[in-house]
Amino acid sequence: MKPLASDRPFQLLLAVVLAVAALLAVSMVTPLGISAYLANAIGQLAAFAVLALALDLIWGYLGILSLGHGLFFGIGGYIVAMHLLKHSSEVTGRVPDFMQFMGWSSYPFYWAGLGFFPYALLVAAVVTILISGVFGYVSFRSRVDGVYFAIITQALVYVAMLLMFRNDTGFGGNNGMTGFLVLFGWPIGGSGVVIAMAVVSVLLLAAVLLGCRLLLGSNFGVLMIATRDDEVRLRTLGYETLRLKLAVWCLSALIAALAGMLYVPQVGIINPRLLSPELSLEIAVWVAIGGRGHLIGAVIGAMLVNALKFWLSAAAPELWPFILSGLIVLVVLVFPNGLVDLAKLKLTRPMGIKRLASEPELR
Amino acid sequence: MRRLFLILLFLSAAVGSSTAAELHRAELIDRLCGDAAALGEAGRSLMGVAAEGSAADRAWAAPIARAMMDRKLTCDGAGAVAMTADGSRDALSGAPRTAAESGRSPLLSLKNRSVFEMADAALALRSSSDLGRRAAALRTLERHAVTLPELLFESAAAEESDPVLRAQITAVAEAAALNSADPAKRIAALQRIAATPDRRALAKVGPLTKDPAYAADPAFKGAVDATVRKIERGIRIGDVLATLYNGLSFASILFMAAIGLAVIFGLMGVINLAQGELIMIGAYATWLVQEALQRFAPALTEYYLIIAAPVAFLVTATIGIALEAVLLRHLYRRPLMSLLATWAVSLFLINIVRVTFGTQNLNFVTPFYVTGGVPVIGDFIFTWNRMFAIAFAAVTLGLTWSLIRLTPLGLNIRAVTQNRTMAGCIGIPVRRVDMLAFGLGSGLAGLAGLALAPIYSVNPQMGQNFIIDSFMVVVLGGVGTIVGTVVAALGIGQVNVLIEPLWGAVAAKVIVLLMIIAFLQWRPEGLFAIKGRRK
Amino acid sequence: MSRFTRRSFLQTTGLAAAALTSPLGAPSIIRSAQAAGTVKLGCLFSSSGTMANIEGRLNHVVRMAADEINAKGGVNGRTIEVAVSDPASDWPLYAQIGKQMLEQDKVAALFGCWTSVSRKSVLPVVEQANGLLFYPLHFEGDENSKNVVYVNSPPASSVLPAVDYLMSEDGVSAKRFFMLGSDYVWPRTINKQLKGYWKSKGIPESAWKEEYVPLGFSNFQTLVNQIRAFADQGGGKPIVVLTVVGSSIPDFLREFANQGIKATDVPVLGLDMVEADLEGLNTEPLVGHLNCWAYLQNAKGAANAKFLKQWADYVKTKNVPFKADVAIDPMVSAYDAVHLWAMAAAKANSFDVPEVRKAFAGLSFDCPSGYKIQMTGENNYASRGVFIGSVNEKQGFDVLWQSKDAPKPVPFSPYS
Repeated sequence: MKPLASDRPFQLLLAVVLAVAALLAVSMVTPLGISAYLANAIGQLAAFAVLALALDLIWGYLGILSLGHGLFFGIGGYIVAMHLLKHSSEVTGRVPDFMQFMGWSSYPFYWAGLGFFPYALLVAAVVTILISGVFGYVSFRSRVDGVYFAIITQALVYVAMLLMFRNDTGFGGNNGMTGFLVLFGWPIGGSGVVIAMAVVSVLLLAAVLLGCRLLLGSNFGVLMIATRDDEVRLRTLGYETLRLKLAVWCLSALIAALAGMLYVPQVGIINPRLLSPELSLEIAVWVAIGGRGHLIGAVIGAMLVNALKFWLSAAAPELWPFILSGLIVLVVLVFPNGLVDLAKLKLTRPMGIKRLASEPELR
Repeated sequence: MRRLFLILLFLSAAVGSSTAAELHRAELIDRLCGDAAALGEAGRSLMGVAAEGSAADRAWAAPIARAMMDRKLTCDGAGAVAMTADGSRDALSGAPRTAAESGRSPLLSLKNRSVFEMADAALALRSSSDLGRRAAALRTLERHAVTLPELLFESAAAEESDPVLRAQITAVAEAAALNSADPAKRIAALQRIAATPDRRALAKVGPLTKDPAYAADPAFKGAVDATVRKIERGIRIGDVLATLYNGLSFASILFMAAIGLAVIFGLMGVINLAQGELIMIGAYATWLVQEALQRFAPALTEYYLIIAAPVAFLVTATIGIALEAVLLRHLYRRPLMSLLATWAVSLFLINIVRVTFGTQNLNFVTPFYVTGGVPVIGDFIFTWNRMFAIAFAAVTLGLTWSLIRLTPLGLNIRAVTQNRTMAGCIGIPVRRVDMLAFGLGSGLAGLAGLALAPIYSVNPQMGQNFIIDSFMVVVLGGVGTIVGTVVAALGIGQVNVLIEPLWGAVAAKVIVLLMIIAFLQWRPEGLFAIKGRRK
Repeated sequence: MSRFTRRSFLQTTGLAAAALTSPLGAPSIIRSAQAAGTVKLGCLFSSSGTMANIEGRLNHVVRMAADEINAKGGVNGRTIEVAVSDPASDWPLYAQIGKQMLEQDKVAALFGCWTSVSRKSVLPVVEQANGLLFYPLHFEGDENSKNVVYVNSPPASSVLPAVDYLMSEDGVSAKRFFMLGSDYVWPRTINKQLKGYWKSKGIPESAWKEEYVPLGFSNFQTLVNQIRAFADQGGGKPIVVLTVVGSSIPDFLREFANQGIKATDVPVLGLDMVEADLEGLNTEPLVGHLNCWAYLQNAKGAANAKFLKQWADYVKTKNVPFKADVAIDPMVSAYDAVHLWAMAAAKANSFDVPEVRKAFAGLSFDCPSGYKIQMTGENNYASRGVFIGSVNEKQGFDVLWQSKDAPKPVPFSPYS
């Protein structure tokens, strides 16, 4: 991996992200600039980009494909939603919908204290680490990997979705949670608050991006890539990869949870669909389209696919699924390393596409 | 049989005046065209006719009761017109006549509907010339035998020509005498009831322990206790059988959904996420065959489920082979990418079907061989559509097994599954085997679509429901073994059905999935791992 | 570290910012300029995903109603333009697209949502933007937003009359109730209200049983066994109050018929069952089961005949991928909704939401159901008639009972 100082593409991306954040921050105080609607869309895209980074870390740099990252995204989302509901009802006195139709008069015990944000943050971190840690430890210890790991994680997120659909679990069932009114004492719909959330999301995206980059540039990053490329050899050399894999897995889960915490306040709803296996698969699609094994690729992929989705779902609803499937097939067949390959295309002009297709992909 | 009715009907019209004293036919027709209360009255009169009326009256009333049930009786200014098999005829006179434009067809409310259902069955039992129809009528009457006039069964039994049916009628009549004044009749009724031990019977017999006769008459008490014991045993047996049958039927569905995947995944390690869509396309192919038959060979329409089998197989197999040749061929060294590619294919297939056929559920004719069921014991009903799925799964299993075990292609497939490189070295055309095996796996998915068509709603989304379940079956069974897939499907199906009544359907699914996940952590290679090199 | 100086970094940042401001205008391409002669309405009905089968047709109905109004000269001198989207049965996407339509496309009103959860997801968006959402489904009630027009009935004025009918002498004198629903807010709320209602009538708790299945559930074998066991226990006439939705409805009915249970033994009151759910079924063994809506295809009257013909013609001329001879309640409700909006806008002589909202009070429209639907200033509900339908052999419903007039809607149930 190139040293950070000479990694021009990465610098450029980081600069763009920071510029957007700055622009958003300016729009917050002046009426000019980015509208609340656009800011919200950018904020959501940033949350998706963080999610894609989480997956890229584990898939692109460690070679473990998780089709269950929606689970951690969901954990973050649910806990922040619980916080928002609790906080909103503490301020406005409105009882959440799900408690009304379940006929409950008091919160289930695990809702206690979530109105206090730092505590909610702590809970989110602890739950994420607990679940990812236990699952990761058992799986990696019994050397479940590759396709099997993908299937099992997919089943795991599916189980979580089925559980969340149940109304008696106290998480709002199929309706999930909506009606967040107050964020840190501010009314959540105000355009200032909307843009502020977008600023925070974009800034956190920049932070995660930089953090991942620094991690990958360190010795630890070298070990990760070594594990990805030949785990058996690494183990033969006497390095225990279990702890490394577990650490990266938990870190990736934490980043995904963070993305969930950014996403939910901006869309104003969470429900079990966030845990559907299709969404988790889509995360892999974003990363694959952008280019796995490249932090830039993950960000570009997530932003591009979701921006297209936002736009086309309204503008050309019939075409969107065909475009998405076409894009995936194109990437899979022609650009094995995603759209990042487009950058290489310039260097090897005449034979470009053919060369790319025959180029071995990261395993 | 309808024709015979009509002949009788004309006869009756001829002698009509003589029986008019007992049955005011015109009055009955008036009531049929009246309000809900009058309709109820009319239904009860029809029942009276069935029990006590003359043969002529019964023959006159039978088509009317039938027409009421089918809402084929139209009231207009000049009386009422019933649509029968021989065209529309005046209800009163039996003369051919069409209803006036302004006529209205009286609709039976649920309450009146049960009255007419009984009257219709009673009339059919007494005057139908078709043995099957009489037997069906008796089954309908049996459920409410206690509320029916005793005379009905007595006269029906006296007139019945078929000895088997006569015995059945007597049995029903005896069972109906549960609340009779004669203690001997009651005991006989109890014995009859014990012959069909289900919860309905228990509900009938259970309250008898509070009957005055129970305390007073030791013989009656003994009979009641014995009956209750017998019924309870029957119910227990029925419940066990029902659980086994439900488990087996669910397992057959899981097996059908998973077998194609087992071949593909076992052979190439390719996660084919489009497998569910191939199932969906199999169901659509089945539907197209049905439509084609309806247009070109209507007589064969009922058999479309059988005729469509090769079509569904070939269509999906072709798609599978094309998919392999165009797309997956380039991705064998990248199983995770082939996963994404097949997901794209699944998205494409769903949407192409959606655009072509629309999103509505397809309309399937329900052939006679997948309709209804037979009550066996207790509350266990042997339903034919589930039996069809089970039988279909068994046949598919047999064919697949013989293909893999007994043919040269099967031998090649097994060789490639066990060790791809070595198989290539000894001259097996690995690429060709891949392609054919992928076709086979896809074709099996198409057959699954056919088998599921009579059970599930068929629409572009249907494939999505199967994908995770079928992966779990394959992985749990162990990749590359058909036996594993069968055992895993049976196990998952049965465990699911066992848990479901206790904690509900969702919990059952969650628990089963968690059990599988936990099991795979302990034994990642599944139940039956083949001894090959792990890739 | 030579090349990674603060200066070069700032340079790139500045460049990037400059580059970004220009595509900021990009979404204005999406925003088709609101021409002087048109007014936009937005549709939020999925044409893909799990809801597509039933929800998709409402897009076309809205278009059809708009065409009808346009043919008569439009509203306030403007022609109506309908923007159709595909939220793909993905609930957050409803909110996202709703936001886009309200804030970017500046639609005058939204018509959309089927499931409660999609409405709940759009609700904060319309409230924030002070827009209008016309919601064409009957639902769980207990909600009254000033930004939502509830065109269909809340349970207190639709479900309770139907259950009342079944409990009456005229019905089947139902005494025992098996409630089977999909596990989400609508069935839960309905069942909660029903239980409250039965309690108020002094019916003991042992007379009912409640079961929930996940959305999209299809294997009803075990549940139908349970229903049979429940029915055979004795103690009065049992009925099933069915609140499963979507593809679970035909799957349930198929299993019910296969186990040989007839409507005369255990009638099913399918609260979400519409003509479209019977499309793929052999309904002969199902004859007599009931549903309950504010419109049935077999409703009598000229308005209905006109509506059915209009829909059939529309399907034929526009090549709509839905059946020409099937009309369901939400279609009519969506059709009513467009007309109600147009009438209100004409009355207010404006497309501004507050003005239009003020104009709702006192509106009335001849609904295809044959009732005159009315809105009062009290709430945003329309008063609708109530029909109880009975399944017939021809995959439709015969009108078994209908209310004398359109009962006044009761948004908040007294029994919850």
